[in-house]
Amino acid sequence: MSRSRLTALYVLALVVGVGSAWLWLTRVGPSGVDAGVWRVNLLAGSPNADAYTRARVAIGALLALDRRETLYYIARTDQRGEPLRAQCRYRLTGTAPAARWWSITAYDKDFFLFENSAKRYSVNVETAPRDAAGWVVFEVGPETVTGTPPDLPTRGEGTLLLTLRLYNPALALQRDPAALAAPRIDVVGSCR
Amino acid sequence: MNAPTPANRKSLRGHLLALLLVAVAAHALTVWALPRLIMAEVLRVTRNEGATSSGAVLRPPPADHTARRIVMPSPDLLYATCSLDLSEQAAKISADIDYPRYWSIALYADNSDNFMVRNDREHGARALRWLIVASDASYPVAAAPDVEIIKAPGSRVLLLLRMLLPEDEAGRAAAEAARKTLRCD
Repeated sequence: MSRSRLTALYVLALVVGVGSAWLWLTRVGPSGVDAGVWRVNLLAGSPNADAYTRARVAIGALLALDRRETLYYIARTDQRGEPLRAQCRYRLTGTAPAARWWSITAYDKDFFLFENSAKRYSVNVETAPRDAAGWVVFEVGPETVTGTPPDLPTRGEGTLLLTLRLYNPALALQRDPAALAAPRIDVVGSCR
Repeated sequence: MNAPTPANRKSLRGHLLALLLVAVAAHALTVWALPRLIMAEVLRVTRNEGATSSGAVLRPPPADHTARRIVMPSPDLLYATCSLDLSEQAAKISADIDYPRYWSIALYADNSDNFMVRNDREHGARALRWLIVASDASYPVAAAPDVEIIKAPGSRVLLLLRMLLPEDEAGRAAAEAARKTLRCD
């Protein structure tokens, strides 16, 4: 085999190594436990995290706290298992989680906040709309010219990510994060 | 076409093994290096931009859609960060946070691990006085009785203060006033 062909093969091996790592970290869902459609990584921010968890957290949730301080639940799909999309409208329904403080934030496909005219980026324990029975009920979706505006506006098209943060979660949840009665995420109407 | 000789077959097997090793090593190195590279950049930016501010602390405005530095910023929190270099001396951290809502100070190693966090309930109302020291420090470490000595796993550390922001302006002003008491010397 010629030297130039051999060099090309080694470069290809390098590219395969780096590329497979990047694809694994960005395309394969994070490990963890599920509460409904929400997934929580038990080692985010922890010194006990494995190398893949550490790298995933650095890419998608840098500077996380460990689960004693904060639990981060991430939803990427609705109740049907369909990927969440910024151009769709969703209704979230649930009970207030057992934590000192909680919030749900909508993130664009680049992991940053959606631009919106109302400057509303999250719904939290203090601002969450509740129905007459005390359920937390609110909607996420694109800003509309007519009709009821969403409580949590999105913009554009593509992946939507919802993060539920629980600050100082109850001890039972710290021990068993899968026990959370997590909010349902149901699509409302049809997507644009 | 000539059949490969035993020597050629041995050479081919050697190259195939070497190619596999290169791919596996590149994969492992990428996974290992990514958090360290990202943290190095965060530490660099914090150090450069915090250098000109009071107490060497970077105090960004509350996160909105224009905040593009740290992924998944929380819009409900007010942040302050310090980049600490413990290679030649310890870092003195002080704060007098009189604030009725949640706050915490977390310390991150240069591989992004959160090796320490303390929140308002754990710390109480007393003044915060920390001396942060690299675990392998060769410099002398001495501190007054009211100063807590914290050992870091390495010489580069990011300190991150989080304060829960209320909706009202008076509450936000109180958060800002409390944030300004943080110093990293």
